[in-house]
Amino acid sequence: MISFFRVIKFALQDMVRNMSLSLMTVVILVLMLLSVNTLVVVKTITGEAVRTVKDQIDVSLYFASDVEQEQVDELTSFIESFPEVTEIVYFDSNEVLNDFKSSHQERDYVIDALDEIVQNPFGPTLVVKTREPNDYQKVIEAVSIPEYADVIEAKTFGDTQEYIRRIDVITQQVEGFVLMLTGLFAVIAFFVIFNTVRVAIYTQREEIGIKKLVGATNWFVRGPYIVESIVFSAVAVAITLTAVYMAVQVIDPYVAVMLETEGLLTAFYDQNMMQQVLMQFGVVLALTITTSGLAMRRYLRR
Amino acid sequence: MINLQGISKFYTRDSVGLHDVSLSIDHGEFVSVVGQSGTGKTTLVKLLIAEERPTQGTISIGDWDITKISQRDIPLLRRQIGVIFQDFKLLPGKTVEENVAFAMQVAGESIKRIRNVVPKVLDIVGLAHKSHRYPTQLSGGEQQRVAIARSLVHRPKILVADEPTGNLDTVNSQEIIEILKKINEFGTTIVLVTHDKDIVNQLRKRVITIDNGKIISDADHAKYRL
Repeated sequence: MISFFRVIKFALQDMVRNMSLSLMTVVILVLMLLSVNTLVVVKTITGEAVRTVKDQIDVSLYFASDVEQEQVDELTSFIESFPEVTEIVYFDSNEVLNDFKSSHQERDYVIDALDEIVQNPFGPTLVVKTREPNDYQKVIEAVSIPEYADVIEAKTFGDTQEYIRRIDVITQQVEGFVLMLTGLFAVIAFFVIFNTVRVAIYTQREEIGIKKLVGATNWFVRGPYIVESIVFSAVAVAITLTAVYMAVQVIDPYVAVMLETEGLLTAFYDQNMMQQVLMQFGVVLALTITTSGLAMRRYLRR
Repeated sequence: MINLQGISKFYTRDSVGLHDVSLSIDHGEFVSVVGQSGTGKTTLVKLLIAEERPTQGTISIGDWDITKISQRDIPLLRRQIGVIFQDFKLLPGKTVEENVAFAMQVAGESIKRIRNVVPKVLDIVGLAHKSHRYPTQLSGGEQQRVAIARSLVHRPKILVADEPTGNLDTVNSQEIIEILKKINEFGTTIVLVTHDKDIVNQLRKRVITIDNGKIISDADHAKYRL
């Protein structure tokens, strides 16, 4: 136990006495974490943008005006049974008529023509949403059977099929790009941290050798570096996430203009702060401890 | 006390550190190991503190065969052999007091014992009044005295000094040798590795001469012969 406290004492002593090296290490870690958080922000914004675009896509099934309610209910149940379907909104004939009138209220001749027809010419409408844009095709194929030919008068999907296909391609490309960027940042972060720690260990290689010569065990030599890694990682994560949290509150109004989502980034960090703290601290700590262990290995063999 | 039997150390096929060296050093002896640069003196020191392992032969210290010592036991060995070097090997970020105390801290000694022993050994080497200085604030002779103080904290039965006067002027060198003699008088075996002719001749103790990795002479009360 006494050795454990001595290791902590030596670590704190080393940090204070090598203040410039300690500060430089923390600065490097903060810069890397800022890059990672930039990526987190980009990923959140693109994710929201893709979600917004996907949310605007749906398929409308227009029923014939003389359709029976039973037929509508049966078809609704059938579509609901698809796991890909996330939402079905039903509009009855009157709602469709009112909606049509309100959207054409400035065209008097259309309203007059409707008034001439005593009977409501519209049938009910089903608006269907699925998880992914390419799931719409499944729904459309399922209802395009002869059995439903007389029931469904029209479908909007045919017109927007190409549009949905393009959106799907774009969203896949954006997701792929963000994934690639994540990989790239991870590799850069690894090498920057690896080299920072390696240089720090290299400058202290003689000290490591001296400690071994006077009878220090590997644990006693390595211990202070592990404690320093924990402190540096904690300080770096605290500084970075504080700065990022303040920055996203400045950025959020601009994001809201683009995506019409208020406080997107602030809400993300509010909901995921603990997860981000643990994840970023864990990754940085694992990196610094692993790299210091690797860098120190050769000096510990003596 | 120290026994080397048929020790050879080959770094590469063409680079020989020591070749078939056998010697024995008794408890309380003061032995000078002399020879020109690159003859294998420092290899001998490295073998004694298990920084290197012999290619052939066996080394024992007391009843302990350290030829195949495990990595885990090396720190235990080093806490029992005091070692001082030409370049002092002090920790630059620690004060005189902390450097000396460090050797006890790594061995898990209690704070009470450290507080008791450190001032005493610093007093022995005449540096009690500079205990809060850093190594860079001391002269070469003073730094070597700190190294000696550090090597004494475990009351080692053996003290190995590898060219301890190599970086010092005549006055400081003399001071260091006087301290080593005093330590020897208290019963500690001293192995002094040097190529300083004057020091060896003045000591008039046992001298082992190494040339090209081999012992070419081993004589009591001898002089430097190369």
